[in-house]
This record gives sequence, C-alpha cells and structure tokens, in this order.
Amino acid sequence: MSSPAARLQSDTLGSRLTSRGDLTSFFMQLTAEIGADSYMLVAIVHDQDRNDARIVSSNWIFDAIELIGKRLIAGLAQGALTVAPGIRPQPLVASRAPEADGLVTGEEARLLDVLGHAEIYSLRLNVGRQRLFALFSAATAGSIDQPALMRAQLKCCYALSHIPQLIAAAAMQDPLSDRERECLFWVSEGKTTDEVAVILGVSSNTVNSYITHAIQKFAASNRAMAIATAIRSGII
Amino acid sequence: MKHADIKETAEALFNEQRNPFGAFTLGSETHHAVTIPDAVRRCRWIAVDMNASAFGLFFVSPSPERARLVPCFDSDYPGIAVATKFISGANGEEIVRHTRISTEPRWWTDDGVPATAELFGDFAWTERMAALVPGTSGIAFPVHADRGQCGLVVFLGSEMTLQQDALYEVHARCFSLFAAVARIRPGDAGRMRAISKRELECLKLTANGNTSEEIARLLKLSVHTANQYLTQSTQKLNAVNRNQAVAKALRLGLIE
Repeated sequence: MSSPAARLQSDTLGSRLTSRGDLTSFFMQLTAEIGADSYMLVAIVHDQDRNDARIVSSNWIFDAIELIGKRLIAGLAQGALTVAPGIRPQPLVASRAPEADGLVTGEEARLLDVLGHAEIYSLRLNVGRQRLFALFSAATAGSIDQPALMRAQLKCCYALSHIPQLIAAAAMQDPLSDRERECLFWVSEGKTTDEVAVILGVSSNTVNSYITHAIQKFAASNRAMAIATAIRSGII
Repeated sequence: MKHADIKETAEALFNEQRNPFGAFTLGSETHHAVTIPDAVRRCRWIAVDMNASAFGLFFVSPSPERARLVPCFDSDYPGIAVATKFISGANGEEIVRHTRISTEPRWWTDDGVPATAELFGDFAWTERMAALVPGTSGIAFPVHADRGQCGLVVFLGSEMTLQQDALYEVHARCFSLFAAVARIRPGDAGRMRAISKRELECLKLTANGNTSEEIARLLKLSVHTANQYLTQSTQKLNAVNRNQAVAKALRLGLIE
C-alpha cells in the first residue's frame, strides 16, 4: 500500500541510527530534504532560574555559536517560537525582527541574518520522556518547506528514540536511579518519609538516603527544589 | 468592542496561528478540543482517515511503579470498549515501558490478517509488538504534552490503510489532540480558588530552593507572612504540604 517512493534517504538513515556519526548524517540529510541550510539539536538544562543550552549536534559554524551565545540559543530553542509536534510552526524571520514577542533584539536579528540564519524554525522533540529542541534555519527566508518540516519533526523524534543512552547522557536530564526517582515522585505527591517507606516497603532511613542522593545529584538545596528540578526536566 | 466580539476575534486569531492542521487537509478539525466529546470527535476523524474501526486515548501514569495505561476515552464513548480493558490491563505494560523511552509508533496484527502485516511491515520507523488486544490488528502512537504528561493513542481495525507520509500526519494529529486533552484533564484547575500573585511568588521561590526565612528577606516580608502565603497556596492547590504544592503548581503551569 505504501509506495516505495515515499521513503526518503533520511528515513533509511534515521531508522538505522545507532551512533553519534549516524546522527550527524541523518540531520544533514534531513536538513537538505526540507530545504534548510543549518540544523542544531539542543538540550535545555535547568539551573535554578537560568536555562542553559547544551548543543548535542549542529552544523552551525563554530564562530556563529560563539557570537550568538548560548543564552540566545536557549531562548530560541525554548521561546515563543517553539512548537510541539502537530502544531504548525512559524519561523523567526531575521529581517522582520524584532517583533512584539521580544525573542531577539534588532542587533541579534542582524547578526543571525549575516551569519546565514535568515529564517529559523524551532521544534520541540519528544524522545520518550526526554525533551530536546531542534533549530532548522536557512540563509534565504521562505526556502524551508513547512509540510516537510512537520514530517521532519516526527522523524527526529523517531530517530532519537533509537539512541536513548546517548540522548540522556547529552542532556544529563535524568541522573536518578529508579528507586530515587520513585521516592521523589511520592514526595512530590505530598507523602512523608514514613509514608513513602510503607509504600515502597523499605525503612525510613533508606527513603531518606535515596532522597538525599537525589538532592545531591541535582545540586539542590532541599526537597522542594529537587522536586521542582525533576518536574521541570520531565523526570517525574 | 463588545466582550463577545473580542472573544471571537481572539479565537479566530488563536485558530489561525495555532491550527495544527493548517498544513493538512481536513477542514472539520480546525477547532481545538475544549471538551472530551470534542476530543472524541477529533479522534474519530483521524480514525476515519486511516479506516480504523476503533480507537482509544490513554494516559501513562506518572508513577514509576505502576506501568499501566489509564483510559481517558475510546470509540464507545461515553461507554468503555472491551479493547480498552485489555489495553489498560496487563497487556499494556510493554507499551508503557516503550512510551517512556521512545516516540516511535508500534503495531501489531492478528495472524489471520496478512494484509495488515504487509501494510505496516513496509513502513520505515515502526516495528511490530505483541498484540495489545487478542485477535485484532492495531497501531499505537506515543504522545507527550507540554507539562511532561505522557500518553498513547491507539487505533484498531482489520482494514486500516495508511501511507508512509500519512503516518507522520496521523502522529502529529495525535500529538495535538493529546495536548488539548491534557489541558482539560487536570479537573481541579477550574474549581480552584484563584491564587494571588504574592502566593505564586512565594511558591516559585520555594521551588528554587529558598526557605521561608530567605523568602521573607527577598520579598521584604515577615517570616510569618511568608509562611501564611505558602499555607494559603497549599490549601488552594488542594495539596497536603509544600512539596506537593510546588509539584502541583509546576504541573499546572502556574509557575515555570
């Protein structure tokens, strides 16, 4: 029923993805297929009030990343521009910025334009419970094919599902062990240490030690902050 | 401008900007689901497009312990289909584990219907799994919403038709359907007493690891007042303590 013609090279590359090298060739191929010039795969790491961008893979020139800065990249990846799968994406067009949403300043927009990112789309990728962001950009505004981009968003989610360990390591979003995550979940449901101990069938001391480890792993100062960090990064 | 006009304009704008199906064809789905019956109708359209005879939408419970699917609605709405009972029972455990780490669709088929195996077997990206419902064929799409909610949209039928390109479109539509359902599902949000700006500020600072004393200093309040704000917001959120209040406020999107 499905015509072989519908299978593109990115489908073949992506469904066989196993390594970081495969990831690069898949994204390069996908970028070309949708009419874009550049891609950037970003993980956002929450650190109190600040969001840090961690670049997992990208074909942006190094100088461009230096000039633009991680803060702006984090803003682009997680700003008003970003859409979940199934929502029609709207591009940031550098020549029309800054617009009311204040995502980028006029200066930043000019810089993006000069560096070959005249239009930028930002897509949210769900890889199981992990969340990443993909920026696709083109040197000429209007050259990215929107329906193809929407399909590409799902393909990215699928492809990254093949390398969960690599994604988790890159994003460092879930440093917790199963037990620590369970304990933290029940605490976030309002349970006390003693109640969690009964639920999990272990001693209260054990529960406290799991929670202390979770707090340390997140570099949090108390339980509330550890819970907040875990929820913000989609762990619980 | 009258209130009704403003509302209408805002809705038109919202639909134009956020219409997930703008790039696709169906004109009947231009409105976001606001109630469960709306969502059922939207899901039925997706099922019709792929010639599926039944469907169901499930939430994956956030508890790491219970690897179960919680039914939200299915094609027998307002009743519950027999298939739903199989899926939310032990048959669903494997796909729950899959949904937590992967977004790829999974399909299964009844051995008596080789056509379905041929159809899905040819696709890039999807693989076969053990049957969710005995004696049927079907496909399951993992979905995720803004606040980290996780779910599964399942379609069943022995005569499903789907093209490779349509696979992405169906999955994209499942994503936006689930996002709409996840927004209406936190049932107590509507009945909740409004939380004041000050109370939210205190909650946010708590989420960032500050103690009551630190909040009092930062907001130039007495420790007693800061505690008062936190107690009030905990009550309004129907939570038993601060930890749960922080978790609920984050999950409802009241604080970032």
